[in-house]
Amino acid sequence: MDERNRKFLVAGILIALAISILAVFFASSDPDGLDSTALIVSGQKSLTAPATSDAVKVEAPGHFSYSSPMQDYTLGQNWGPLGGIIAMVIGTILTFVIGIGLVYLIRKQRISKKQTT
Amino acid sequence: MHIPDAFMPIWQGAIYWIVALVFVALALRWAKNELTEEKIPMVAVLAAAVFALMSFNLPVSMGTSGHLIGAALVAIVLGSPFAAVFILTLVLIVQGVLFGDGGITTMGANIINMGVIGGFVGYYAFHGLMPITKNLGIAAFPAAWLACFIPAEVCAVELYLAGTFPLQEGLIAMGVYHALIGIIEGAITVLALRLILNVRPDLMDEKVKGAKGVSTCG
Repeated sequence: MDERNRKFLVAGILIALAISILAVFFASSDPDGLDSTALIVSGQKSLTAPATSDAVKVEAPGHFSYSSPMQDYTLGQNWGPLGGIIAMVIGTILTFVIGIGLVYLIRKQRISKKQTT
Repeated sequence: MHIPDAFMPIWQGAIYWIVALVFVALALRWAKNELTEEKIPMVAVLAAAVFALMSFNLPVSMGTSGHLIGAALVAIVLGSPFAAVFILTLVLIVQGVLFGDGGITTMGANIINMGVIGGFVGYYAFHGLMPITKNLGIAAFPAAWLACFIPAEVCAVELYLAGTFPLQEGLIAMGVYHALIGIIEGAITVLALRLILNVRPDLMDEKVKGAKGVSTCG
């Protein structure tokens, strides 16, 4: 990889990390479009007004359930915003590393195939 | 619009998973055949940036927020809707497994909505509008808006079939909110495209650069 591409990679990951850290502090905590719709159909919100303060998460019984290690991009309440930053940095770097690793693996496979044929 | 596990019966999630896996296989084939060495940095940077931007919810009024999906952006920059399937699948796996954002049984549906439909709508709307408008921004903004709005309405139908949303109420609320969230999608997509054309036009898909009216200085 040449110098320009290396610079692009570094600048790109730094921008992504900056966005992910800013998101911890500045992202809106309002429910997203899907969650808002779920609150509407469960009678906890009207289309144009915010949800009532005692709105509960819509849960249907009998479905698959899974607890992720960093639920909602945090490390739990004890960690506060630092936990959010750690979670987001891990997520951003992991996505980057898996992305680049996967592409290299796929390309390697192609090259080795070419050599055998 | 990450569907959580609680919103869909497992058997329906399994059906979407099967369909999604077909597209994931096609996306892997795209990566094998089309990804040249020069595109590797762009793939990795887009994956990280899409992950970061997806967690950055911006308020859209009415007590609701929304974030970028990024499928249109990825498909336009890398020159294939399968690029969007490839990157969005990767991001959705990280989000679902590590952060509980979007379910596991519903991940197939989320890949179809955001990756497949978002990618195909964004890519073909952009390349359909580009020759007519001859302007990058005027073509990319509505393409990205549609790549947010249409998946949202499909999602409303899926959740009607899942027995979670009533059809009409779901279509209206998902439509209204994502018509607004689509403005975020459009604005960030146009900004990011201009940024890439400014700093590294050589990494942009040839079909975008070759289009009339696109100057490399944005």
